[in-house]
Amino acid sequence: MTARLLELKSLTKKFGGIFAVYDLSFHVDEGESLGLIGPNGSGKTTTFNLIMSEHKQDEGQIYFKGKEISAYPTHERVKIGISRTYQIPRPFNDMTVTENIRVGVMPDDILRVMNMNSVSKKERAIGKSVGFNARQLQAHPNELSMGDLRRLELARTIATGPKLLLLDEVFAGLTAGEIAELSELLKEKKKEGLTYIIVSHDLKSLAPLVDRVVVVSFGQLIAQGSFEEVIADEKVIEAYLGT
Amino acid sequence: MKKALPWWLLFAVVMSTMPLLLSTGSLRIFIFANFIAIFAMSWDILSGYTGYISFGHPFLIGTAGYTSAILSHQYAVPLYASMPLAILLTLIAGSLFFFPALRTRGTYFALVTLAFMEVTYHLVQVVKPQITGGSRGLTGLPLLITGAVPNYYISLFAMLLIAFGLWALTRSGVGTVLSAIRMDEGAVKSAGLNTSKFKLFAFMLSALVAGIGGVLYTHYLGSISPRGMFDINFLFTILIAALIGGEHTILGPMMGAYFLTFLLEFLRPYIPGAWRYLIYGSIALIVYMYAPKGLYTVVNAVGSRIQGNKMKDEEYDSQTA
Repeated sequence: MTARLLELKSLTKKFGGIFAVYDLSFHVDEGESLGLIGPNGSGKTTTFNLIMSEHKQDEGQIYFKGKEISAYPTHERVKIGISRTYQIPRPFNDMTVTENIRVGVMPDDILRVMNMNSVSKKERAIGKSVGFNARQLQAHPNELSMGDLRRLELARTIATGPKLLLLDEVFAGLTAGEIAELSELLKEKKKEGLTYIIVSHDLKSLAPLVDRVVVVSFGQLIAQGSFEEVIADEKVIEAYLGT
Repeated sequence: MKKALPWWLLFAVVMSTMPLLLSTGSLRIFIFANFIAIFAMSWDILSGYTGYISFGHPFLIGTAGYTSAILSHQYAVPLYASMPLAILLTLIAGSLFFFPALRTRGTYFALVTLAFMEVTYHLVQVVKPQITGGSRGLTGLPLLITGAVPNYYISLFAMLLIAFGLWALTRSGVGTVLSAIRMDEGAVKSAGLNTSKFKLFAFMLSALVAGIGGVLYTHYLGSISPRGMFDINFLFTILIAALIGGEHTILGPMMGAYFLTFLLEFLRPYIPGAWRYLIYGSIALIVYMYAPKGLYTVVNAVGSRIQGNKMKDEEYDSQTA
């Protein structure tokens, strides 16, 4: 039996009078890849924000490797092995690609950071592993295409040494070629043992990458199972298409 | 980094020869420029780097100045004790400064820090004026040393030490993290770094530098007053020096401090009274229009043009492979 990596139990988050996430429970096992889908505004990104402690849940618990982590601030959650990308890439604009990756590599320790003077092999290797060439590694984010910015998000996330990756709309704004490249990259990372949760509206690209899918609508879980099972589910069709 | 060392040495040597070349009056201008440079760099390591804009730096400088002034003048504490105590208290003041930074940023943070300065301005006049000297402040403070030349060397030594220290630090990973906080604090947290810890470090460092500058400045002038210290013009001199020189570069604010001080002094014999502030303001605007990132980038661009040190791809590969 595979071990539970992340488990959400009855998560609830209210913004004003609206439930962004309501009584949401699901889990992901080690080595598994999970798709998290649902119509616009169904609470997918909020769920990621809750997992990363960028928002605090009103109710419910989050377990990582069996340990309750609700009290952990964002950076502590990153240290134990959870990391995310953002729907809208958030690069450090005045820094080169390698410097951006370097922020992910850095230890959370002022003295050790003080001794980091020049770009090391590690940043470069990570940059190359997501497909950047030598010239791009020196480029600034404003010179990059959307596909490359998503690659940069991924590189900075991988640099933190995660066990669980949360990928938010990784395919949005990419060309078909870029999607194919990124998919290959994610498949490789999965073979290396990385677990991930992908949020995507691009169901066609998502399907071959995920072992299981969780569908949310209005913050609630409405279906889960294999990709084929959930897209045939009546409730899912209704949520996506309306009645 | 090693490549820059000869330049630092050259700069130190050139600056050290100034007393041989200049009159006492001109030397006093240099001393003032050294202090403005220290204050501008103190502002830069906090506000220039992390983006938490402080409008209250005179609060930190004043805390240092007043503490040492009161201790030495009213309680006859020797300077070698009053100055370190004052710097210590400035660090505590710096941590007070830090609390609003946990919850506010941007304009709100700037206004909170401005309030710190304003409140202190009024408090030193009202609370125990027999100790603080009230609105007239304190005069006849013990001097650290007399004479323009020794004072010049003290201010120069402090300025060089601070400039080199901050420069080296900001060229390390710490500079990268602080800059990243300015660009997107949330993304830094997501990269697994405790931004509060790094921010506190920047605040403490800024307060330390402001404290050192504050006590040296006070015991160079020999007097301190609320209007001289917690004054919006004093604040703007520091801010403009940092901005004209180029924020988040450390060397920029240092250059800016010299540029502004000399501009003002150079204009003095030609343009009487307040008119020179108009010229001074116009020149500042022109610099801002044509070099919005500051003098530092201009000097840097000229420097790289001369050296032709734009790195080639192959060099980059061999250097980092």
